[in-house]
Amino acid sequence: MSKEILDNITDKEYEHGFVTDVEQEFIPKGLNEDIIRLISAKKDEPEWMLEFRLEAFRRWQKMPMPKWAHLDIPEIDFQDIIYYAAPKKAEDRPKEIDPELEKTFDKLGIPLHERAALAGVAVDAVFDSVSVTTTFRSALAEKGIIFCSFSEAVKEHPNLIRKYLASVVPVGDNFYSALNSAVFSDGSFVYIPKGVRCPMELSSYFRINAAGTGQFERTLIVADEGSYVSYMEGCTAPMRDENQLHAAVVEIIVEKDAEVKYSTVQNWYPGDAEGKGGIFNFVTKRGICKGSGSHLSWTQVETGSAITWKYPSTILKGDNSSSEFYSVAVTNNFQQADTGTKMIHIGRNTKSRIVSKGISAGRSQNSYRGLVKMLPGAENARNFSQCDSLLIGDKCGAHTFPYIENANKTAVVEHEATTSKISEDQLFYCNQRGIGPEEAVGLIVNGYAREVLSKLPMEFAVEAQKLLQVSLEGSVG
Amino acid sequence: MTDVIIVPDGQLVRNLEVNAGQKTDMVLLIMPGVSCDVRLDVRLTGEGAEANIYGAYICGGNEKVNIAVDMHHDVPYCNSRQLFKGIAGGASKVDFYGKIIVAKDAQRTEAYQENHNILLSDEAKVDTKPQLEIYADDVKCSHGATIGRLNEEEQFYMRSRGISLEDAKVLQMISFIAPVLENIQDETQRDAASSEFESQIRNIIRNI
Repeated sequence: MSKEILDNITDKEYEHGFVTDVEQEFIPKGLNEDIIRLISAKKDEPEWMLEFRLEAFRRWQKMPMPKWAHLDIPEIDFQDIIYYAAPKKAEDRPKEIDPELEKTFDKLGIPLHERAALAGVAVDAVFDSVSVTTTFRSALAEKGIIFCSFSEAVKEHPNLIRKYLASVVPVGDNFYSALNSAVFSDGSFVYIPKGVRCPMELSSYFRINAAGTGQFERTLIVADEGSYVSYMEGCTAPMRDENQLHAAVVEIIVEKDAEVKYSTVQNWYPGDAEGKGGIFNFVTKRGICKGSGSHLSWTQVETGSAITWKYPSTILKGDNSSSEFYSVAVTNNFQQADTGTKMIHIGRNTKSRIVSKGISAGRSQNSYRGLVKMLPGAENARNFSQCDSLLIGDKCGAHTFPYIENANKTAVVEHEATTSKISEDQLFYCNQRGIGPEEAVGLIVNGYAREVLSKLPMEFAVEAQKLLQVSLEGSVG
Repeated sequence: MTDVIIVPDGQLVRNLEVNAGQKTDMVLLIMPGVSCDVRLDVRLTGEGAEANIYGAYICGGNEKVNIAVDMHHDVPYCNSRQLFKGIAGGASKVDFYGKIIVAKDAQRTEAYQENHNILLSDEAKVDTKPQLEIYADDVKCSHGATIGRLNEEEQFYMRSRGISLEDAKVLQMISFIAPVLENIQDETQRDAASSEFESQIRNIIRNI
């Protein structure tokens, strides 16, 4: 019976799969030092930035593609990707936004006009390789907050960029971070000065539009002493039969007593029901709780992408610092996800909490992979991890790979994981009380993910709940 | 009958196959001074097969204890349970790895695994990697792992009732290991193991 029910919550298509018809500028396919020089020239970058890119490229060339994840990644031809694509009117901004682009973001529900904007959310909209606009910049600047595209920050705030860039994710950290460091195009830069509480949610929206391209976003968030910011990230892409690569690097620096809340709703195109097409989402996200009493919280809802390889991590360096990781990862059809977190405890009395909820359906494979490491100096450090998996259908897989290392006798680490399915009993119970079969599955899944969804900012929570339902459509019982 | 193995120094490799309706019980005991590399590969190949693997380890010196368990559920209606508990003191290094692999179509599987550790010293180190790899949906699987210390509130409770700190620690450690030893069915064997563990625990406490 449950087979039919699950079949029936079906067949709503990927909503954001349209393509925007806008004149675009491309650079030639392929990757070599000339291409990197060209990207750097397009962005009118200073010499040190180009040097940084070239150094990263040279290191990347010597690195092998990582194979340790529980993923089946087809061979990627890095010479067959266009590394830079921009809508043509780029030189006119920020005075004027192409009406086509505006329509696109409107359709995606991202308002680019401040008057029409959701109350209290400032947006940086990135279209392929460039940031189209950043709203509320002047309002934020009054408080000393810098919120702009990464390219602008390189020109306008070179000292901050040079100080913090690659300080959390070193260039040679891994294969994809090295690639990103060589060819990154745009992303957001956020700086919250000492003691300032950011009055609105900051948000970046990433849109892949052009075919044959890759998107290499670079985001850097710095929260100075005693400050607070909540940052949200969203992303979508058109439906295509080809796989497109998205390799981002996000770095977050949290100084003494500061707090950063980072939320993601990842809805890249997941490929069709036969597993054709979709985005490869290979992302390095890492934050450091640098000062004492600092706090970093990650919340992610992962529903899209053909393949996800993503481990938002925290280095707990400051004494009494704390971090949280809340994740819901949904895979359906032929999607694959290998995602989780790393909590590296260095300072005394550091605390971390991990709550991960995986949902696999169809023929998908969903893995949690996480590291909790207590270094010898992590006196009285504490971690609790909970990783649950929900299986829908007998052709999918759910896996849990935690790595727990403790070298301090006063540190305490706890981990637990469970795997189960939606039982006939639960469905029957709901049906009996007049709740229809589709609703019942939605209810159970939302209840299962509630602990994580409740951590999302309000603007995201509603979207995320809807997404969960849509993502599970067509899941075979 | 429970198979009680007192693990010697060096490598210990066991490949077990449990057929339909059969049951395997094994208790591994690793005493102080033993550095070992234990590799268990258990395969449940017939419906109704059951495997219960228990292990206890105590390290107080420079031991290196490696335990790796692969539990394969190849067919439906099988049960497995693993419980490993250990204490690491001195400059010992404990590595635990345990994986439950539930094959496609191995429905109605119940598989549980637990690994709990107590760290007694700053030089000792415990790494644990419990893993689940599940390809069937109608299953109940879980694992849990902890690395922690002796509870100070419990110690305070006992001391306020006239039990010395040393004795309190011994009691805590005995009760921590007990759930493993309980699974030895033969009474004489069980008593022997318990008293051996107790004297080893006293030894370690004395040396802290």
